[in-house]
Amino acid sequence: MSEQRMYPGMSPDERTTFAPYSAFDIPADLRELSGRYDVEAMALRCRNFRYAEEWLMMMLGGWVATIPELPVKTGLGKVIWETAQAADMLGNRLPELRCGKKAIEASKSANDAFAAFIQSISEPERPDLTIEKLAGPFDVLMPHLVEVYEQTIRETDQICDAPTIEILEDIIRKRRRHIVWGQEVLDRLCDTDELRERRKARVALLDAELTATGGVTGTLAEDRTALN
Amino acid sequence: MKRFIHHDELARDSRFVRQDNAQSTVLATLPDDVDTIVNAFEQFSDMIEESVRGTAAEALFESYGPGFALTILNEPLDPDAPAGLTRLLLRMHGILVGEIQALEGAARSLWDFPDAPWEFKMNMARQTWDEGRHVQIFEKLLSHLGGSIGMFPESTFLFECACSKDPAMRVAGVNRALEGLACDVFRDMIKYAEKTGDEKMQQAIDYVLADELTHVRFGSEWVREFTKGDSEYRDRVREYRRTVDKQFSFGGARSDREDAAIPIAWEERLEAGFTEEELKDLAELSGSGPSKKTLTQAADILRERHLAKRAAQKEAQKGEARS
Repeated sequence: MSEQRMYPGMSPDERTTFAPYSAFDIPADLRELSGRYDVEAMALRCRNFRYAEEWLMMMLGGWVATIPELPVKTGLGKVIWETAQAADMLGNRLPELRCGKKAIEASKSANDAFAAFIQSISEPERPDLTIEKLAGPFDVLMPHLVEVYEQTIRETDQICDAPTIEILEDIIRKRRRHIVWGQEVLDRLCDTDELRERRKARVALLDAELTATGGVTGTLAEDRTALN
Repeated sequence: MKRFIHHDELARDSRFVRQDNAQSTVLATLPDDVDTIVNAFEQFSDMIEESVRGTAAEALFESYGPGFALTILNEPLDPDAPAGLTRLLLRMHGILVGEIQALEGAARSLWDFPDAPWEFKMNMARQTWDEGRHVQIFEKLLSHLGGSIGMFPESTFLFECACSKDPAMRVAGVNRALEGLACDVFRDMIKYAEKTGDEKMQQAIDYVLADELTHVRFGSEWVREFTKGDSEYRDRVREYRRTVDKQFSFGGARSDREDAAIPIAWEERLEAGFTEEELKDLAELSGSGPSKKTLTQAADILRERHLAKRAAQKEAQKGEARS
């Protein structure tokens, strides 16, 4: 057994023992216990996020059969699976936020306008509308979700709500990959001014509709003001 | 976006050639009678010729006539057989387009059944990713063998038969009947790859087969769940699956008969959740088509008549040129 280590001292009673590598070797945790959302507010946000993820997954699934470009069909497979996983993780967080065990399937649109916006994105049907189909999710909805998730991560309590942060960080990491892939596909498909114009027009239309809904949480305007 | 689409609406890029599903329907319902089979194929001869024009199957049509599919489907794959590579490519291409339609079927289940339980959607989302990878795998294997997309026509018979508007029937048709058929075909392909020493094909298809077992399990579990407490509904779903199984036995080419080109993969199917009773039923159901002898006789007649017709056409052309 090793000899006990002592603090230096002028007299024997000043010489107290100490444990090497003890707590004061670790930097202090300077984070504050504060966040913009309480448990109930965060549970509502998770339900709103889950609604967007679930419908995103479903509409992409609907389009696989009517998109003629084979690499797009196969590429969407992975996006669909990872989007389903995102919705699943958000659902699994709900019981942890006091929503009850059955809440894991609870999706909720922030308002009727956002639900209508989701239906607008999913409208294009014909096989010659791949640009209109992809521009909705990859140019508008996904970037919006990333923006809101990042804001949520910044503003929620870093210690108390760390599990939500973990989930959102994981979703964002994959979502950024989806956006890069989808926008690269769109760049290739839009190889003439006319096609680029079609993409631009679709994005402008959906962007305006999204802003009017208040976004996935219905609080886009307030969130942006709070940020400023 | 509407719920439920017709098989004609499946979108393809310009490389693909679409074939009318009538030929597949005929193949699925053949009786054990030489004359009936010959008449059926002669009736569709022009349509079959039209559908293979400009594809690699055109050469098969010219050699064997409208019944070329009888010869191709009913003989096991043999690397040393005449046109062995063409037949392998035809099967590989058939698997590729089958995987595309399985991808579309699984993905459509996400949109067509918005009120289905969440776990069902998770399973279908996972299957969508798997089928997407399978399409990529078979596109690469096709290329590995020297083939390419569109070299043979595509029939959308698979989507037409299995994509019911009822969720229990959809999973019974797609996940149990067709993914079950995939187990049979892939086990046969793995044996072929082992025989020819093609390790790339053997390993890739072995992974795909592992995925298919999972998809069959999804089907078994969801049929049970959707039909829980309703025996009449369960019976109807079972009958639907049996109909699809019969349609995709290709007149006994996929069966447990000794002369079957694609034997039933009992071991894999049992592992995937089929019961012994279900497999015995499948063996009986799939083996009840025309015998190999009948099909061979019909194919020979069709070939002879086709070659005679071509010779007559040639003579007529010569006559016209002379006059």
